[in-house]
Amino acid sequence: MSGTSLRKRGIAFAAIAAAGLALGAGPAAAQLKSYDSSKPSFWKNPPPDWFLGDETEAQKGLAPPVGPALPTPLSELQDNLKKIKLPPGFKIEVYASGLPEARQMAWGDKGTLFVGSFGAGNVYAVTESGGKREVKTILKGLNMPTGVAFRDGALYVVAIDKLLRYDNAEAKLGAMPEPAVVYDDMPPFVAHGWKYIVMDKEGAMYLPFGPPFNIGIPPTSLSQIRRVHPNGLAELVALGVRNSVGGDIDPRTGQYWFTENARDWVSDDMPSDKLNRISRLGEHFGYPYCHQGDMPDPKFAMGHKCDEFTPPVLNLGAHVAPLGMKFYTGSQFPAEYRNNIFIAEHGSWNRHKYQGGRIMRVTVDPDGKNAKQEVFAEGWLTGAQEYSGRPADVVIAQDGSLLVADDWAGAVYRISYSR
Amino acid sequence: MRPFLAAVAAAACLALPAAEAADIEAGRARAEPCMACHGTDGITADRSIPSLAGQKERYLQWQLVFFRSGRRQSEIMQPQAAELSDEELRNLGAYFASLPRIVLPPGPPDPALHEKGKLAAARHRCASCHMDNYAGSQAAPAIAHQTREYTTKALEDYRNNARPSVGVAAMNEVAGGLTDEDIAAIALYMENPE
Repeated sequence: MSGTSLRKRGIAFAAIAAAGLALGAGPAAAQLKSYDSSKPSFWKNPPPDWFLGDETEAQKGLAPPVGPALPTPLSELQDNLKKIKLPPGFKIEVYASGLPEARQMAWGDKGTLFVGSFGAGNVYAVTESGGKREVKTILKGLNMPTGVAFRDGALYVVAIDKLLRYDNAEAKLGAMPEPAVVYDDMPPFVAHGWKYIVMDKEGAMYLPFGPPFNIGIPPTSLSQIRRVHPNGLAELVALGVRNSVGGDIDPRTGQYWFTENARDWVSDDMPSDKLNRISRLGEHFGYPYCHQGDMPDPKFAMGHKCDEFTPPVLNLGAHVAPLGMKFYTGSQFPAEYRNNIFIAEHGSWNRHKYQGGRIMRVTVDPDGKNAKQEVFAEGWLTGAQEYSGRPADVVIAQDGSLLVADDWAGAVYRISYSR
Repeated sequence: MRPFLAAVAAAACLALPAAEAADIEAGRARAEPCMACHGTDGITADRSIPSLAGQKERYLQWQLVFFRSGRRQSEIMQPQAAELSDEELRNLGAYFASLPRIVLPPGPPDPALHEKGKLAAARHRCASCHMDNYAGSQAAPAIAHQTREYTTKALEDYRNNARPSVGVAAMNEVAGGLTDEDIAAIALYMENPE
């Protein structure tokens, strides 16, 4: 289905929904899925429709691909990296291997690289001494500890419904202390419940709260971003956000920018995933009413118009799955890269021909204007629906190189530049 | 693809440890202790124990990873899996996946329940991941021709979050909405879904 015809259809649906609302419980209301989130069972086992139920006959079988059960061996990783294309002067190498389902990365003060994971439930520490790099599993058995952050000697880990703090972590890698629970006012479901942590200069942490479904009117405690202070005080900073698993603070302004995965099951090319910026407290980014800044939802627009919401800074493409992102603050790369954004795209599952699975470079002004993107590193997508790896996060190393976490291959790569 | 890649990798990196691509023969040798319960040909006599012959390689490897880490609980399987290296685990998955899948004789027929199972499987969209013939794909296992006893336990365990699912938490979420009757019907239907 083309974007244009879809858009028309979307508007037509929106009009019906609006008419239905005007009449009270009109026929349109019956078309809307209803979720009874009043019962604890909803939170324990949300409906599985984030990956099932909204598909057309042509979309049947587009299930999320499952990666290898074991991390990719070093020799195979090195082989895979030979196929990665980078701009001239850049090279990529394996930084660490054997980190099952590696997700967000964060640096400790003493040079330890902490790495969260997905279902593996582990947090890893990559350390270097005497030129030898070592991967240790320092925490096990956590519930999808995808997000990590570090400040004042403490490692912060977010595992679905708990934000944990491990004090003096770098001195205790061999036997981590019992954590303090910083914040736990979070629902326990896992679908879109996996999180990313972005710490600002005050030490407050931006945490995403995705709805546990593809599309629907979310409970009021979801589809939002909260800013959680180290003492557990939480503020609501953004509304209307679907599944966000990446963000960063703009070093130029201190504002929070974030990536967002758009709804599935519309079509291969609609709607686009987004890059957003919060310029004032409580902005609404459109979900579930409006996608990609200009596409009313076919079912859930509910009479809203797209201009009621904050548009994206940049539409990144449909089903590219933007996850971790960082402003480039290093000095190793050429000067024009300074304050550019690197985005790790995890790549598609809800698309017949996958796209994404690469690192994008975005150049954009501090106010969000003049945004444009280009491919920085690609080659992990090896067929219409095949990956050799899936980038999940990026982080800048002290020497200005860029590290990439890959949760498919269970590895971390290093991209460096030399003239 | 794996053997070819391994050959390239081995040629390119002679200094590295032996190539890690799966070795079916090594898997057969390592499978010796498995045979007491899972049968010499991967087909089990005990209807509560799953047959592994011809099961999807990636699914088998994930289950062994789950047992090894304790994320999937079993007094029998956990100690067995705890001793496996990554290489042994890969080989075991490849070996059982390589065995011919044999159609087990179904249990006592119940046409009414079979029909209910067919409808429930359609309603819950089992074919989306397990394919129209329920023979599985990638990490989604073959679910056709398992015994009703095993399928019932598997679905109950997923429903109770007693075992983890690949695909994020796909099976836990799907099974969360199943009634006891759905489970009984689907389990019977999957014995012979043709």
